[in-house]
Amino acid sequence: MSAVATALVFWPAAALMLVTAVQVFRTSSMARAGLLLLGALGFEGLLFLALASEFLGVLMVLMMSGEMVVMTFFMVMFMPDPGGLMGMDMTHQPRRSAAVAVAVTAALAVLAVATDWPGRVAGRSAPDVEAIGFEVMSRSMFSFLFAGVTILFAMIGGVLLAQHGGRLGLDAPAGEERE
Amino acid sequence: MSELTPVWILLVALAGSGALGLLHHAIDPRAAGPGEMVLAVRRAFAEPISVPEQRDGVLFHLAPLLLVLGAVGALAFVPWSPSFRGIDLSTGAIAFPAMLAYVTPAIFMAGWGSGRPLAVVGAFRWIALMLAYAMPLAMTLTAVAAPAGSLRVTDIVDVQHAVPAALVQPLAFALWLPAVQAVCFLSPFDVAQASGELRGGVFDEYRGLDRALVDLAQRILILAVSGMTAALFLAGWHGPLLPGALWMAIKTAAVAALLLWSATRLPRMPVDQVVSLAWRLANPLAIVAIAWGGLVTLVFYR
Repeated sequence: MSAVATALVFWPAAALMLVTAVQVFRTSSMARAGLLLLGALGFEGLLFLALASEFLGVLMVLMMSGEMVVMTFFMVMFMPDPGGLMGMDMTHQPRRSAAVAVAVTAALAVLAVATDWPGRVAGRSAPDVEAIGFEVMSRSMFSFLFAGVTILFAMIGGVLLAQHGGRLGLDAPAGEERE
Repeated sequence: MSELTPVWILLVALAGSGALGLLHHAIDPRAAGPGEMVLAVRRAFAEPISVPEQRDGVLFHLAPLLLVLGAVGALAFVPWSPSFRGIDLSTGAIAFPAMLAYVTPAIFMAGWGSGRPLAVVGAFRWIALMLAYAMPLAMTLTAVAAPAGSLRVTDIVDVQHAVPAALVQPLAFALWLPAVQAVCFLSPFDVAQASGELRGGVFDEYRGLDRALVDLAQRILILAVSGMTAALFLAGWHGPLLPGALWMAIKTAAVAALLLWSATRLPRMPVDQVVSLAWRLANPLAIVAIAWGGLVTLVFYR
């Protein structure tokens, strides 16, 4: 994409992402909060697309839709006031979280500006692609394996708990049997 | 991709959905004919914007727009001929389901925004249905992309120049068709609207222009998935004698006719049976389809 086209997608998408992200905490409706979060993450996918990270962008747009709607479904199911009719406040410890958010943003901004980024970022001879490869396959290997096995156990546990009668496989109480 | 590509895609969307309406009328005489279609468009603009009594108005009116956006977005990735390839991304085979994925939030918004119990039930049913069709859809895409070694849709079309993927990978084709039928919320998977049990479900409160946008989005969705089926499974523009674009049009119309015909013939499935069938049968078979796709790739395409 040309520089103009990139700018035309990037800045509006970035602005909309920030607006929807802030609105997540200003609404009191669970359905709106979940869908606004989907909006923010979808616009983030557009940012990746504008910056020519095609695969990451498309994947972000694809994955977030289903995930956020399922999350919204659970929020609506579990919260006592899913429509936000009582005007619930979506924030917790607003001052402390604001302080943490500002500190993290500042630290990331300093990191982004101070890092000496390599000129070439894609292709076989890009230095940081090689560095990431060695990092993933050597020092961080154990962390990734651990995370993978943890997620697998969570999935197996979820399936067991979702069975009739929980993990013990007990018969369902009379009247709840479907099949 | 040129500057005019979006204009062409919109033209394809409008002309194609009109043609699809005529096809639907030919298959099912109960569907609106040409005269009734014109009347319906005029009525859509004449009717006042409907406001259900108790609703989330923003979500209610945003839902048809998101539905149209997702449908047109999906259509944009369909390659129609060697010279008009839509948006030809190197990740087109993922971008297409990424656009289809926005049918789900749109239908959830419609059901929740309507603020009626039956509409909300319809929205919740749709989430269950989405979890049922999404995995077979994505996995069969992987299987047909394997011989091309690429996620670019035009590469997948070109690798079928000798034999269409539907013949090489019939299992993937058999799993793909019901999945796209479900994306278009056509019977037997119209569990979210369910005119009999839920009285129209998620779209019951929609009138006038909102309703017309929902119907238009469904037509464009059918057009998009039929076009993509023709490209991914039926060798796209490859065919003897006739020009490529005409072959694409014929194949797209054939797939659309199949989808619409089965929608008029098959009774609605209960949502629990759809989910059970998807997770117990379709998903395991989709893994078999991927393995088969890998095997034929190694044996015939290397």
